[in-house]
Amino acid sequence: MTYAYLFKYIIIGDTGVGKSCLLLQFTDKRFQPVHDLTIGVEFGARMVNIDGKQIKLQIWDTAGQESFRSITRSYYRGAAGALLVYDITRRETFNHLTSWLEDARQHSSSNMVIMLIGNKSDLESRRDVKREEGEAFAREHGLIFMETSAKTACNVEEAFINTAKEIYRKIQQGLFDVHNEANGIKIGPQQSISTPVGSSTSQRNSRDIGSNSGCC
Amino acid sequence: MNFLRGVMGGQSAGPQHTEAETIQKLCDRVASSTLLDDRRNAVRALKSLSKKYRLEVGIQAMEHLIHVLQTDRSDSEIIGYALDTLYNIISNDEEEEVEENSTRQSEDLGSQFTEIFIKQQENVTLLLSLLEEFDFHVRWPGVKLLTSLLKQLGPQVQQIILVSPMGVSRLMDLLADSREVIRNDGVLLLQALTRSNGAIQKIVAFENAFERLLDIITEEGNSDGGIVVEDCLILLQNLLKNNNSNQNFFKEGSYIQRMKPWFEVGDDNSGWSAQKVTNLHLMLQLVRVLVSPTNPPGATSSCQKAMFQCGLLQQLCTILMATGVPADILTETINTVSEVIRGCQVNQDYFAFVNAPSNPPRPAIVVLLMSMVNERQPFVLRCAVLYCFQCFLYKNQKGQGEIVSTLLPSTIDATGNSVSAGQLLCGGLFSTDSLSNWCAAVALAHALQENATQKEQLLRVQLATSIGNPPVSLLQQCTNILSQGSKIQTRVGLLMLLCTWLSNCPIAVTHFLHNSANVPFLTGQIAENLGEEEQLVQGLCALLLGISIYFNDNSLESYMKEKLKQLIEKRIGKENFIEKLGFISKHELYSRASQKPQPNFPSPEYMIFDHEFTKLVKELEGVITKAIYKSSEEDKKEEEVKKTLEQHDSIVTHYKNMIREQDLQLEELRQQVSTLKCQNEQLQTAVTQQVSQIQQHKDQYNLLKVQLGKDNQHQVSNSDGAQMNGIQPEEIGRLREEIKELKSNQELLQSQLAEKDSLIENLKSSHTSSGMNEQSSATASAQDSEQVAELKQELATLKSQLNSQSVEITKLQTEKQELLQKSEAFAKSVPVQGESETIIAAKTTDVEGRLSALLQETKELKNEIKALSEERIAIKEQLDSSNSTIAILQNEKNQLELEITDSKKEQDDLLVLLADQDQKILSLKNKLKDLGHPVEEEDELESGDQEDEDDEIEDGGKDQDHI
Repeated sequence: MTYAYLFKYIIIGDTGVGKSCLLLQFTDKRFQPVHDLTIGVEFGARMVNIDGKQIKLQIWDTAGQESFRSITRSYYRGAAGALLVYDITRRETFNHLTSWLEDARQHSSSNMVIMLIGNKSDLESRRDVKREEGEAFAREHGLIFMETSAKTACNVEEAFINTAKEIYRKIQQGLFDVHNEANGIKIGPQQSISTPVGSSTSQRNSRDIGSNSGCC
Repeated sequence: MNFLRGVMGGQSAGPQHTEAETIQKLCDRVASSTLLDDRRNAVRALKSLSKKYRLEVGIQAMEHLIHVLQTDRSDSEIIGYALDTLYNIISNDEEEEVEENSTRQSEDLGSQFTEIFIKQQENVTLLLSLLEEFDFHVRWPGVKLLTSLLKQLGPQVQQIILVSPMGVSRLMDLLADSREVIRNDGVLLLQALTRSNGAIQKIVAFENAFERLLDIITEEGNSDGGIVVEDCLILLQNLLKNNNSNQNFFKEGSYIQRMKPWFEVGDDNSGWSAQKVTNLHLMLQLVRVLVSPTNPPGATSSCQKAMFQCGLLQQLCTILMATGVPADILTETINTVSEVIRGCQVNQDYFAFVNAPSNPPRPAIVVLLMSMVNERQPFVLRCAVLYCFQCFLYKNQKGQGEIVSTLLPSTIDATGNSVSAGQLLCGGLFSTDSLSNWCAAVALAHALQENATQKEQLLRVQLATSIGNPPVSLLQQCTNILSQGSKIQTRVGLLMLLCTWLSNCPIAVTHFLHNSANVPFLTGQIAENLGEEEQLVQGLCALLLGISIYFNDNSLESYMKEKLKQLIEKRIGKENFIEKLGFISKHELYSRASQKPQPNFPSPEYMIFDHEFTKLVKELEGVITKAIYKSSEEDKKEEEVKKTLEQHDSIVTHYKNMIREQDLQLEELRQQVSTLKCQNEQLQTAVTQQVSQIQQHKDQYNLLKVQLGKDNQHQVSNSDGAQMNGIQPEEIGRLREEIKELKSNQELLQSQLAEKDSLIENLKSSHTSSGMNEQSSATASAQDSEQVAELKQELATLKSQLNSQSVEITKLQTEKQELLQKSEAFAKSVPVQGESETIIAAKTTDVEGRLSALLQETKELKNEIKALSEERIAIKEQLDSSNSTIAILQNEKNQLELEITDSKKEQDDLLVLLADQDQKILSLKNKLKDLGHPVEEEDELESGDQEDEDDEIEDGGKDQDHI
């Protein structure tokens, strides 16, 4: 299948916050209730459509355990997007966000789009981190924010697609060097690069990203 | 240190001593000299000594060299020398020149120095940071040093690189180096780096290694490229082998498509250099890595599909059928095709239609089988063909059917022009070449694998032996050859075929047992005390006998389960039988074959077990052991259990059917329910409509009731007015009012009549007196005529009123009739409608009752009206009589008037006489006056009075004329 662009994503965050489940829900549209510890890094891929353009997402789901931290750091540099995930029912996973973010900022390219995700929004009764807190953290650090549920698939699609939209917007603005694959972006085969035009498109994108669908 | 001394002792003491001193001096200079040039020269000197005096330099200089790396980074030259020196110390690569006996020790040297070097993890990190230096003199030796460190102590160094930030990513950058030497050595470094470390493999893949390496391979001209292509292929293999995540990435990245051009080598067999063969071999292996049977099934099948879709399989098949392809490439291609089609229906179907470019074209399968049963073909090629055949049939019932059908009598080509797969297999089965026997037997067994239909079909196969003899069944022929005692591979092959054939197929078992020679042969084989060589055959015979018992349906009386078991007990002994059965799985080659599906044997002697057969043994060994140990009673019990189970099964199937039926019924009922629901809804809407209608009717009814109530209040005669029907009261009320009006009218008339009567009386009285008094009678008659005229007028109006009233009454009556009908209809329509039915019915009866009451009333009223009209007639008569009296009176009056006029005439005459007399009196008086005679005044006065009276009479006459 041909594609206009290929984006590399990584999914990071504490162990057990549902990173692998988010990926599985996104690529296979199913949910695995049993926690199967990720060893190192696992790969998944899917095609999405943004503004009528086919975009291939290659996603590396990393292990959350501390012992794998050094391995997972190797993936920051080559990624165009990162999904930073915490668990809304466990405050400590929220508290660790700062350290994750530092790590990501330190090892990634400065343009990497980071989407903050509060996962397990289906467990409202056990909520430990308010939605507003997540929003505030995201605002403070310039991240996009969403609450998702890998179990009910709520906002999962949106999380991946909105990240892609933001990357696409940055490409349109010329912030990404699409010819340098180290940025985690690749132009599809037989694709001519459209000149970065259309501020209207980017405006629309940013608006799209701003408006979370309200199911969570 | 003992070991080091030993090494030193091996060399002459003299020069060694001086060299050691020199090295010491050089090290001192490196450590203490403040001049960079000095240090640089010293390091260069150490480098030159490091190859020959590896141990000495290593022991003494390592520390100083590392120090140089740390402190002299600004000078690339000294860094380069230091790295070279370290490389020489650590690497074993250039040891070949040194004497043979020291090789082993120097290998130890390399790893020991590596251990010393990496003890400080910072040293590796330092080396990694030096690799960022672009200078060729630093980067190249750095790459080589790190490569040898990895080669010496791979896992440890890998771990250090893994945990150092961006370690792997930095090494990946080497592939982008424009200097080919560094790029190529970078590939070698990555080879060492990725060896059996999944985490690093994934990072390298993440850093676009596939893209880069495939680009390099393309740039270098694919298989025609040099050793660089080979190195890249080895690295790719490292990245993909047993790494599912990377395989998935490779597939998702559409890199399989990029492999296709690698195999576009078909026609121009210009030359097959050793490098090209190696490259192509690695390329084929890389394909196999992606579709290996040991990969997760889903991953393999998706790669298989991709390979078919992008035409890779087709390309491989072209190589398969091309001429002039080196044997080992051909073999590996066959193996590759095998795994690309294995268990993938689409690819298997495609392969079934691949034809060799011969004349006439033959199916590739047939061509391949010809090689398999050809002794002259290389052993590995024959194995590969067998593997290909197995993969073609793996989970391919269609293919199995096609192969078996070529053996069946109906489909055998009588002309013999073309050779069929079946013919080749039979030929192989009964040839004198034991390898062909084995391969053909295993191939045939694969055509029966898990396919009960084909097991039964194969029983139909008849073989023509020598002329004159009757045809023999294939099964018979197999056992015949088996009993002839041929080579071990032949017998093992046939026994495996028979075991596969008979398992799960009671009919085949019966066929087998039908030949009375078979059981004695098997028991004989098992019971005999033979050498180790024969143990495997004994085991296989035991297995076959076990299968004949386990899958026996007791259809042959002489070989019922029980009898066979007794036979074992008597001839062999249970323990002995089980022990012999165990020989199979205890065989050294058994576990080897059970590991991989590919028949891969180092040499023909090892060709004993087939992979699928080992699975069958695993499956059957236990159950057969159980079956043998079981007593007949237990057996019977089991039979019973089986029977009950079967019964249960039948019950279950019965219930299943029932459930199915019920399901259908349920479905029907559901449909019915839904239609009924629909209807119900419709009806409900109708009901609500009707209810609203009823409500309307009720409202109407209530309205009427209220009106009726009002009417009842008006009606004095009927006090229980509340219970009146709503429709008629209005009418009746109106009627009543009219009647009342009529009554009042009548009263008025009567009073008028009375008045008139009195008037008439007056008149009469006045008439009687009129005779005496003319003047008064004249006045009375005038009054009388006046009154009569009035009465007449009133009578006319009364009459017209009466007429209009009677019209009204009839109209009201018809209206009432209509209303009655309506109310009746209404009462009738009410009962249909739902719950209010009875109430309404009751009400209707009520209403009817009231109606009748009203009717009664109206009747009464009518009667009243009648009475009134009678009265009126009476009054008329009175009027008439009074009129006639009036007429009489008129006549009398006329007579009286006549008399009056007569008397008036007389009066006039008298008056004329009087006037004449007056004239005469006057003239006489005047004469008297003239004559002077006085005249009396009284006379004049009297005459004036007379005139006044006359005037009055005239007025009264005028009045009478008016009437």
